[in-house]
Amino acid sequence: MKRWIAILAVIAIAAVLPLLLSPTGYWIRVLTFTLLFAAMAQVWNIIGGLANQTSLGHAAFFGIGAYTSTILVLKFGISPWIGMFAGGFLGGVAALIIAVPTMRLQGHYFALATLAFGEVMRVIANVWTSLTGGPVGLSVPFVPPSIAAYSFKQLLPHAYIALIALIIVTVIFEAIRRSAMGYRLRAIKENPAAAEVIGIDTTKVKLQTAVISGVLMAMLGTLYAQVAVFFDPDTVFSAASISIRVALIAILGGVGTAIGPILGALFIIPVEELMNDLFSSGAAGLSQLIFGVILIAVILWRPRGFITVFDSLMARFSSKARS
Amino acid sequence: MSASQPLLEIKGLNAGYGEIEVLHGIDLQMFEGEFVCIIGANTAGKSTILRAISRLVPHVTGTLRFAGNDLSSRASHDIPTLGIAHVPEGRHVFSDMMVEENLMLGAFTARHAKDLSSRMEGIFELFPRLRERRGQLAGTLSGGEQQMVAVGRALMLQPKLLLLDEPSHGLAPKVVEEMHDAFTKIHSRGTSILLVEQNVGLALDVATRGYVLESGRIALQGTSAELNENPAVRAAYLGI
Repeated sequence: MKRWIAILAVIAIAAVLPLLLSPTGYWIRVLTFTLLFAAMAQVWNIIGGLANQTSLGHAAFFGIGAYTSTILVLKFGISPWIGMFAGGFLGGVAALIIAVPTMRLQGHYFALATLAFGEVMRVIANVWTSLTGGPVGLSVPFVPPSIAAYSFKQLLPHAYIALIALIIVTVIFEAIRRSAMGYRLRAIKENPAAAEVIGIDTTKVKLQTAVISGVLMAMLGTLYAQVAVFFDPDTVFSAASISIRVALIAILGGVGTAIGPILGALFIIPVEELMNDLFSSGAAGLSQLIFGVILIAVILWRPRGFITVFDSLMARFSSKARS
Repeated sequence: MSASQPLLEIKGLNAGYGEIEVLHGIDLQMFEGEFVCIIGANTAGKSTILRAISRLVPHVTGTLRFAGNDLSSRASHDIPTLGIAHVPEGRHVFSDMMVEENLMLGAFTARHAKDLSSRMEGIFELFPRLRERRGQLAGTLSGGEQQMVAVGRALMLQPKLLLLDEPSHGLAPKVVEEMHDAFTKIHSRGTSILLVEQNVGLALDVATRGYVLESGRIALQGTSAELNENPAVRAAYLGI
């Protein structure tokens, strides 16, 4: 009961916060991207946290989603809302194609194979000029603002859409974690050999999580395309700024927990923006260096992520409240 | 199934990993209600026989039949549904789960059965220590207790055939004895058991019949009494 009140309070704050920011300003943009990256990290968390498969290729699905919905608008005038589901379908197919040969791989091998897959998609998008426009990129066409056309004058609706997306993927993550499938994944994560002898089809369960994660990641690609308005292969299929970044957000925040990716995104995205702002002229790339240091520090002192700091603060708070 | 048909029938089994063949033409038969052991030195291929039955070995040729089913067409996760429960070597409990959760997962393929709590009760009768530790994380238990969890987890399936791979390995002598008492009880409740054991003396003590495996071939077979009397077995394995 107490837990639900806390969750509702957080959602209420998140719902009011965008209204306090200037609707055309810089900070609402940061907030929108923070929410979007939290959602992406949460989707990554389904495969990275629950199935314990560290994917470094999620940009592949993300880019497929961004390109699918944008190409459908450009060539056929189809609403991005529908394009989002078309992208989700293709993202799921791509996830299945990559998962079948790589699911038996573990640890570094899986990470490297998925990293390569993301890069392959980036190269394809760069050379398939007739479909993707190649390295020049695509601009989402301007259409008269309406909800049905997924077109808005301000960023405010985008912030809310990102918030709703984050809530939906978090609910999906938590539902999977608590379901029979979540139990199967836990068993596989803890002991693959024992999971197989008690009758869990380990390959099938891992494929299912990969496909769910791929579908959702592609759908978030559409959200990104609609906010960013312009993108090229090197941004949406980027290993560093999409694949590795979403993994990093989830790992820093607390992998395998529902709150982890949200904490991670709340920290990383605004700090990154601030640092880019501060150092852009003098020392570009300094923010990456600082993130490298933070990552090493977290792995050394808080290997399970910020969530452990958060938990101990909560414990201290509640014990004080009781006394 | 007629009484004359074996529960488990293995004929001309070759099995191996990659290029290396471990088993060369194994013939083994087991009838319902039997307690059979496979003994032999390390690396003789004992575990590979069990792993071949559970379809965990990649390269297998020959006949593998269980209760009229051809096992070679089955996937490993299908095997428990036929009534074969495997206790793998090295215990393999789910360390971050409670004892109870480990046991419940054993009945994973029978999860819609209505008598799961009475099955668990039966396991607690067999291993009273697990009842005391039911809420504890399996990873925090002693080696012997973890082995009890692994065996209990397999029994949750109420298997027709229980495969036990080196269950006494690395356990204190007193726990080994306890373990073997439990196996005798499980057998007397009607479960057929195929036991792989390095501890030949103990294996021949509890099993009624045995196979001696040497370098991937069956070198000898007979009742436990016969094998106990066999001079070659006595010299090689019992150190007498």
